[in-house]
Amino acid sequence: MKATKRVHDFKALELKLTEDSVSPHTIYIKEHAVREHTPDKPSGRTLFIVNLPPYVDEKGLSNAFRDAGTIQTVQLACKPHDLDKSQTNKFIQEELKSTFKVAYLVFAKVAQLDKALKLAELRPLNSEEHKIKLGMSKWIEEHNNSVIMPKVLKEQVERFMKKHDEAAKNTEKKEKALEEEDDEGWVTVTKRGKVQSFARSEKVENKIMAKEEKNKKRKELKNFYTFQIRESKMKHIVALRQKFEEDKKKIAQIKQSRRFKPF
Amino acid sequence: MVKRVAKDSVSGDEVDSQSLNENGKRPGDVPATETKKRLRTKSLYRQPTANELNRLQETENLFNSNLFRLQVEEILQEVQVKEKTEKKFQEWFTEFKNHLLSIPEDDTEYDLTEPTLAKKLKVKIPVGDELAKTKCMFRFHKFTDVQIVGSYAIGCSISSKLCINLQITVPADTYTKNDSINYRYHKKRAAYLAFIASHIKTHESVTDINYTCLNGSRTKPVLDVTPSGKLNKYLTVRINLMCENEAYKLHRFSPLRNNLREAWLFGEESADNTEVGPPTPYYNSSVLQDLTASVNQEYLKETLVNRENLKQAVVLLKIWVRQRNLQISGHVISLLVAHLVQTKRINNIMSSYQIVRNVWIALKTSEWDTKGISLYKGENTPSLEEFHQHFPVVFLDKTGYYNICWQMCKGTYNALRRESALAVDMLDNGKINSFLPLFMIPVKPLMQFDQILRFKNFQNLKDSVLAKLPKPAKLNYGVDELALVTDSLHELLAKGLGDRVDLILPMAEADFSWSVKVKPEKARKDSYKEGLSFGFILNPENCLNIVEKGPPANLPEAEQFRAFWGDKSELRRFQDGSITETCVWDADSLADRRGITAQIVDYLMNIKFDVKPSELFHIGSQLESLVSRKQYSAQCEESSVEVLRAFDDLRRDVRQLQQLPLDINAVYGVSPVFSYCEPTPALPRRPLNKPWRRGNASLVKEIIREDGTWVAPEYTPVCKAVIELGHSGKWPGDIQAFRALKAAFNLQIAERLHKQYSLPTQAYPSHIDVLKNGLVFRLQIAHPKEITLLRKETENGVAKFRETDESIQLQCETVLMPRLRGALHGLHQKHPAFGPTACIFKRWLCAHLLSPPHFPPTLAELLVAAVFLHAHPLSPPTQPTAGLLRVLRLVAETDWAREMIVLDFNEDMKREEIMELESQFAAREPQTPKIHIVTAYDGDLPSAWSADAPSTQVLARVRTLAASTLKYFSNALLDDMKDNVLAAFVPSLAGYDVIIHLHSQLVPYTHERVDRPALLKPIGEGESDVIPVIEFHPVEKYLDELRSAYEEFALFFHDSYGGEVIAVLWKPDIAETKEFQLLNANALKPVTTRGEVKYKVNIEALVEDFRILGEGLVKEIVVN
Repeated sequence: MKATKRVHDFKALELKLTEDSVSPHTIYIKEHAVREHTPDKPSGRTLFIVNLPPYVDEKGLSNAFRDAGTIQTVQLACKPHDLDKSQTNKFIQEELKSTFKVAYLVFAKVAQLDKALKLAELRPLNSEEHKIKLGMSKWIEEHNNSVIMPKVLKEQVERFMKKHDEAAKNTEKKEKALEEEDDEGWVTVTKRGKVQSFARSEKVENKIMAKEEKNKKRKELKNFYTFQIRESKMKHIVALRQKFEEDKKKIAQIKQSRRFKPF
Repeated sequence: MVKRVAKDSVSGDEVDSQSLNENGKRPGDVPATETKKRLRTKSLYRQPTANELNRLQETENLFNSNLFRLQVEEILQEVQVKEKTEKKFQEWFTEFKNHLLSIPEDDTEYDLTEPTLAKKLKVKIPVGDELAKTKCMFRFHKFTDVQIVGSYAIGCSISSKLCINLQITVPADTYTKNDSINYRYHKKRAAYLAFIASHIKTHESVTDINYTCLNGSRTKPVLDVTPSGKLNKYLTVRINLMCENEAYKLHRFSPLRNNLREAWLFGEESADNTEVGPPTPYYNSSVLQDLTASVNQEYLKETLVNRENLKQAVVLLKIWVRQRNLQISGHVISLLVAHLVQTKRINNIMSSYQIVRNVWIALKTSEWDTKGISLYKGENTPSLEEFHQHFPVVFLDKTGYYNICWQMCKGTYNALRRESALAVDMLDNGKINSFLPLFMIPVKPLMQFDQILRFKNFQNLKDSVLAKLPKPAKLNYGVDELALVTDSLHELLAKGLGDRVDLILPMAEADFSWSVKVKPEKARKDSYKEGLSFGFILNPENCLNIVEKGPPANLPEAEQFRAFWGDKSELRRFQDGSITETCVWDADSLADRRGITAQIVDYLMNIKFDVKPSELFHIGSQLESLVSRKQYSAQCEESSVEVLRAFDDLRRDVRQLQQLPLDINAVYGVSPVFSYCEPTPALPRRPLNKPWRRGNASLVKEIIREDGTWVAPEYTPVCKAVIELGHSGKWPGDIQAFRALKAAFNLQIAERLHKQYSLPTQAYPSHIDVLKNGLVFRLQIAHPKEITLLRKETENGVAKFRETDESIQLQCETVLMPRLRGALHGLHQKHPAFGPTACIFKRWLCAHLLSPPHFPPTLAELLVAAVFLHAHPLSPPTQPTAGLLRVLRLVAETDWAREMIVLDFNEDMKREEIMELESQFAAREPQTPKIHIVTAYDGDLPSAWSADAPSTQVLARVRTLAASTLKYFSNALLDDMKDNVLAAFVPSLAGYDVIIHLHSQLVPYTHERVDRPALLKPIGEGESDVIPVIEFHPVEKYLDELRSAYEEFALFFHDSYGGEVIAVLWKPDIAETKEFQLLNANALKPVTTRGEVKYKVNIEALVEDFRILGEGLVKEIVVN
């Protein structure tokens, strides 16, 4: 019953691409209400929309809600709460996947949000000034945008590396600082400190464990006691038997799948 | 679990004791109850019993492997005749025999040229009109016994299609001294058979009786009896007539004697009628067969009776031969085994496996065509040389007069020898379970042969061949014309094709059975179609030679060569200075060269037998048109060679680049074109007119025609390669910084390439594009550290490495692919049919709308590779058409839920590794059918190329499609003899929910479709300083968007080689009502039913979305 209750929070509206769209998608809107609001989605002024078709863009959405009032920002995401993972520190920016989206619309005033919630009909996404680029024109643009002048690329790389170097320097500084005694006299041991520690990775750990094991084995005597010899013989037979059993299983399998009828 | 193990062990011991019994070495009469009691308490660690130790030891020594032994036991059990059947037959036989022996004497003499006998008996006499001119008087003498002979009597028969041979010995009085000539013997024999048929035809133990001619020998019919009751489900009975030994002296039929007079056969009434003509060994043998039967039967009985292992071996060999469809009777096999026993190469103490293996080795090294063998050890019989003069294959029987292989064509013997060699190879190959290909998998002509020759009208062909043959040959074969035609055609083909072929196997359809009440002529006309075809297995090294080099012009052999080849032979001077007679065949491309064999056959048939090429039908080159680019009339293989050549130059250039911070160690090609597997290889592009350019790359112009349709530049693919840089420890440990640095490298490499070699280049963040010889190459830097960085994650402060989708993808692209591509390239060099086969298979998959990602292209290549690497029980194909058929069979007939394929290109994998992989596969969850192919390069990612796709549903569809395509091919090629079989490459659009039609001018490769007429365009030439528009594929982009947005609602199918439609299939749950959830509200619309609001997928809106997203590309959307 919880589900139906939640549905009622949402209001369903039809969203057309152009005036003459025949069968538009239904979008669902409600006020964005969470416990902790972030500055980019202020409380009382943010409209939350789900089920936006893949081709929707920011401007188009502003067009659709034009009747409610001024829209400050439009934030599109593939899933709710997905916005926080910013791409700012990525070198190759990824395109937003073509899929159904959610959006957060921030209005200039609280009253405008109320008005938006009461809208009975939306304007189409496309307007005189803005047409969403689709199909051939979109792909041509994408293709052409992917070609970059070497100079531009070079600048991009330099800018990114500069930022990266700075960030790296900062972390190093932080680590250095950690090595100093803190208020209670604790020292954190790091890779670069005076007290050398080994790299903490799975590989190194496994290596150490393997070494221990080997040492243990070396101390053992084999083929010394009679029971050991007896056991090793037995093991050989067991191995043969196991093989036999396995083969029999295989036969059973072949029997099942291909029956032993050659013709 | 423990209980189960214990139970298995019990059964193990039971098998064990049984097999010891069979070996006859030790009676395994351990009381069963005691065994069980002892074992019940013990598990794997129990004390071994003597029996068990013995068995384990034996398996190691006497059998190939445990598995092999178990399988042999299983199959023998399966083909054994059931005791119940045996009992029933014994009852039936006693009754039947009594009835037969009650046949009344008849003292009347009949003239066989008159129809009186037939009228009296009320059955027809089973000889044709050919023998009408033979005059003889016949009198029936009663026989004294009916014997069971053949495999059933010895105890090595196979229960499927069981045929029990009964033998009636005709008393010697029936024949007179002169009956041996001019088919008088045969005619009397037939009359005798009619007597028997007439006697049993109304008896209650018989439901049906027919005459049958075996192996096309028209003069020696046998009587096929279908027993009444349930017995006829299991077996048929064949009555054969033998002749008492006393009837004739055997030397009358020695190979040099004539028993068929020329005057009789050709109907010439010449003056010297008494003159004895040329020898007629073939005719003689047909009489000898009856005379010597009992001696040989006795000998077989003596050798094989109570020798279980020998019998088992005979059964195994018979299964092996039957799976290969060779015209070799069980009788010959038994006699061969007897011969090897006689020469002490095998004995009954050997295991059946060892016997079979020894027989194969003996066959492999045998030379029955030049050094025949004989069971007769005495003297005073015709020498082997005499036999060799007259028979292609010689294997003499116990009497020393009768050649057991008198009917065997040399091609059949060669096939037997070849198959034996293959069998020994398979046994020696420890990496496969050789049992299955040896005994279980039937070998079908369409799969086995690279090329098959059929005749459109066999009767015409027979006539024209017979017209050209010399008289002595005709006389020898008498009325058995088919055998004569087969032998002479085989001889001609073998001589003409020489070392181009490994095997020419004649396949005659000549067994003919008809009712006893019908005259043979009439029955022949009504229901019998004689057929002959020749299967060729080509020699991969020689079959592509254009030039047939003959002897030097000054030698006498040159004259023979000229005589044989006629006008085609000409004098040529070669580079090494030799001047020889030579035949040169026309072939421009590799595809043409694959057709040379057919060309030679056509030519020879025309000049030797006056048979026009239109009368012949070759199976083997029907799909060649799919390995060329129709639009440019460019062959795929030649285009691929061009690409490889350009790439080699580029590789050299790249490795010599200077002033780079790191050296370039290696450049590897990864695109399919580098292993000849690309059906649409890149072709050189003509320079563009006034391109829009940015840097060195062209941009796409937005051009819309007046009618509102878009214009796209022609699709130009790139050929991808990866670059390996020299070692450096300075790469950053952060993935983003790593990529930025890579981009910087790209810039530098592009710049250096441009400066040093003035090649047009363009750098991108992830790759570099280079234009070389009009082809665009895309170079990508590969570094293992990038993969490691993608895998890295930190847990409790410990860095751990876990595979992620991204890391797997990168590893596949940059580590696995270069090695695999290299291996596939090597495979193509070894088997030149590999590339074209892969091309056709890809075309086939795509033609049925299963383009990637439904069926990954690399997986398709691996499946084709599997056909070449694991060709058992055949040899790898040399023709793409045969290759495709085999791939289809592999897909259709493999049980993908239980079997996996290991591709070990260079014998790198150990047997243990393979076993490990197999057990991993067997233990996987869930056990759904899935293509699982592991290559030797997969490393930590076994089956990396088939990990995600195809899905179970797609696999099921591929299998049904493959099965029906195979059926179509077999009908069209073998039965209808159609040359155009491209209908198998036209998809059916039935069953899809929505069909999206696209504007064809925007679809790349649309001119390559099989149902489109070719529009020729020239290949571009000339240098350009700008890279053309590359990889601009509107349909791919559209499909990507559709799949990414709507994959939860529908599947999209498309043919990437020019498909003008996209077929959409809704997921089965599309029409159901759904719950509205915040995270799962996609495409839902509210529907009010009975006052309640429910949610459903808004299908109409989705269809409209398809139109919206494909603006400019979509022509029409049809909803079914």
